[in-house]
Amino acid sequence: MENILEVKDLRVSYHTYAGEVQSVRGVSFNVERGEALAIVGESGCGKSVTVRAVMGLIKGPTGEVKPGSSILYNGEEILNYNKKQWSAYRGAEAAIIFQDALTALNPTMTVGKQIAENLIIHKNLNKQEALAEATEMLRVVGIPEPEKRVKQYPHEFSGGMRQRVMIAIAFACDPKLLIADEPTTALDVTIQAQILDVISDLQKQHGTSVILITHDLGVVANIAKHIVVMYSGMIIEKGLCEEIFYQPKHPYTWSLLNAVPRLDLENKQDLVAIEGTPPDLIAPPKGCPFSTRCKYCMNICNERMPEFTSFGGEHKAACWLHHPMAANSIKESGLEFPFELGGVENE
Amino acid sequence: MLKYTIQRFFAMILTLIIIATATFFLLAAVPGDPLVTKAERLSEEQKERMYAKYGLDKGVLERYIITMKGFFVGDFGESITFPGETVWSIAEAKLPVSARLGIQQMLIGITVGLGLGIIAAMKKGTWADYTIITLSILLISIPHLVFGLLLQYIFAGGVVNILPTIGWPEGDELWFGGWEYTILPTLTGCFSYIASYTRLLKTSMLDVVNQDYVMTAESKGLSNMRIIFKHVLRNSFIPVCTNLPMSVAMCITGSFFIEKIFAIPGIGLYFTSAVQSRDLSIVLGWTVLISAMYIIVVFITDILYTVVDPRIRIRGGKR
Repeated sequence: MENILEVKDLRVSYHTYAGEVQSVRGVSFNVERGEALAIVGESGCGKSVTVRAVMGLIKGPTGEVKPGSSILYNGEEILNYNKKQWSAYRGAEAAIIFQDALTALNPTMTVGKQIAENLIIHKNLNKQEALAEATEMLRVVGIPEPEKRVKQYPHEFSGGMRQRVMIAIAFACDPKLLIADEPTTALDVTIQAQILDVISDLQKQHGTSVILITHDLGVVANIAKHIVVMYSGMIIEKGLCEEIFYQPKHPYTWSLLNAVPRLDLENKQDLVAIEGTPPDLIAPPKGCPFSTRCKYCMNICNERMPEFTSFGGEHKAACWLHHPMAANSIKESGLEFPFELGGVENE
Repeated sequence: MLKYTIQRFFAMILTLIIIATATFFLLAAVPGDPLVTKAERLSEEQKERMYAKYGLDKGVLERYIITMKGFFVGDFGESITFPGETVWSIAEAKLPVSARLGIQQMLIGITVGLGLGIIAAMKKGTWADYTIITLSILLISIPHLVFGLLLQYIFAGGVVNILPTIGWPEGDELWFGGWEYTILPTLTGCFSYIASYTRLLKTSMLDVVNQDYVMTAESKGLSNMRIIFKHVLRNSFIPVCTNLPMSVAMCITGSFFIEKIFAIPGIGLYFTSAVQSRDLSIVLGWTVLISAMYIIVVFITDILYTVVDPRIRIRGGKR
C-alpha cells in the first residue's frame, strides 16, 4: 500500500529555561493512503508534538525540529517547505482538529466565517459562495438549522457542536490527510461516540487518511488500522490494530490495555493504574524509558535502549525481553508473563 | 437594552448628585470664602450686599439646598471671579478650544500608538521592538511640561524657526484651520497616548498570539497578515477598550499644563484659576460637567464592548 506520509527519525525539542526538553526523540512511522493510524500514549509522551510537526506548527524561538528529521508527504520533504508551500499544504492537503474546540475557535468571529476562511484562500471562492459552502459543511457534520447556526459565535454552541464545527473547518477543503489530536477528550462519553462517527464517516466518504491521537485505547479500536504506541517521546510498539490489542508485546502496551475497564467482568473491579511517572525529558535515561515502571525490568534495561524486535508483518516492539539473550534470566526469575516472548527475527 | 439604558441613566444621576454633594461640602469646609480679597476695601454695607448677592450670607445647609435645586435645572450660579459669566457661558466659549486640542492629541496618539503596538508585537525580540518599547517608556516618563518647552525651543528658534510658540486659531478657524498653531501642543500631548497604547496593544497581542485559535488559524494555511488582522487584532482590542474612556475623559481635562505652556485660551486656564480663587459655582459646575462626561463615555465604552466581543451581552435587571 502506498504511503501518504512517511515520518523518519523525527526529533523535536523545546528550549526552556530549565534546559532542552526532548519532546520527540526519533519517531518513525508511515500513514497509508486512505487508512487511519492511531497514536496512543499517556499525556506528555510527545503525541501532539509529533503531529504538530507534521502540520508545521512547531514555532521558534522555543520549538525546534532537529536536523536529520524527515517528514515526506507524497514523497515531498515538507520540512524544507517555504512559507508559500506551507500555506498551500496546511488546510488544503492536511488539516488538524484540536482537543478543546472552545479555545481552538476564535471567540469573536462567527462560525460560518471561520469555515469560509478556509474555502476563500484554498478554493478561490468569493464570500457568498464560501458562506453557502460553510452552511453545507455544517449540515454535513450534523448540526441542525445550519442556516441559523452559520451566523452564530462559538460560545453559542455546546461542546459537542463546537467539535463538529472544528471538523467542518478541517474537512472544508477536503484534505488528503486529517490529524485529529484527541478530538473527544474534552467531551462526555456519549458525545465522544457521535464525534468519532462523524470523523470516520467523512473519512470513508472522502478516502481521507487519518492520524488519530488519543490516550484512550477504547477510542481507537473501531477506527484505526494501525496503532503506534508512544512513550516518553519514542515509539515503543507498533502494528496492526488487532495485533496490538490481542498480542501486545511491550509491557507498557500491556499495562495500557490492562488499564481499560472491562464491561464483560463483574461490576466491582479496581481500576488498574500504571505506577510511577514517565521520565524527565530534559535528561532522558540512557536505557529503556519505561524501565523504572516496568515489573519485568532487567539490568540491561537501565543500560541500553532496546532495538525493535519484529513479530512478523509490521508488528514491532522495542523491549529487551524479546531478545534471545534474555531467555535465561527470565527462566531464572520465574515471573509469569501475560504475553508470549521472543520475536520472529531480530533487526 | 432599553431597560439597561434607563437603569444606567438613573445610576448616572445618582452618581452626579453624590459628586455634587461631596464637592459642595468640601468647598464649604475650606476656611474663609471667595469674597475675602474682593470685599477687603468695601464698606460694611456694601460687603453685606455683596455676600447677599452670592448667597454667602446664608447657612451651609440652606446654601446646599439652593445649590441642589439649581443642579437639577443646570443652574450653578454666577462666577465670582468673572462677573456675569456662568459655567455654561465659559464652557460654550472655551470648551471647543480644549476639545479640539484633546481630540487631535487623542486621534493621533491612539492611531500611532496602536500602529507601533502592532509592529512591536509582530517583530517581538528584534531591534524594532526594543526601540519602540524603550521610546514609549521614555515618552511616558517625561512630563508634558518638559516636552512642551523642549518642542518650543527646537521648532521656534532654537534649532529651526518654523512654528509659532504660542496662540491658537480663533473665529472661523476654531475647529478647522490654523494648523500651524496646533502642531506643537498636539505633539506634546499625544506622546503619552502613543506610549500607553503601544504597550497596551503589544502586551495584549502577545497574549492573543499564544491562544489555541491562532494555531487553528495557522493550521488553515492563512498568511501571517491575515491571521494578525482577522484573528489577533480584534481579540487584542478588548483590553484597549477598557482604556478608552480614560483617554476620552483625559482629552478634555488633561491638557491644563499644555494650555498654560502654549497660552491656549482653553478651559484649563479658567478652571485652575477658579480653583485658586475658590470660585464656588464654577468649580462645582465644572466638576459635575466633567464627571457627567466621564460617566457617559464609560457607558458608551460598555456598549462598545458588545460590538468588539460578541460574548458580552447587555441586559437590564439582575443576573
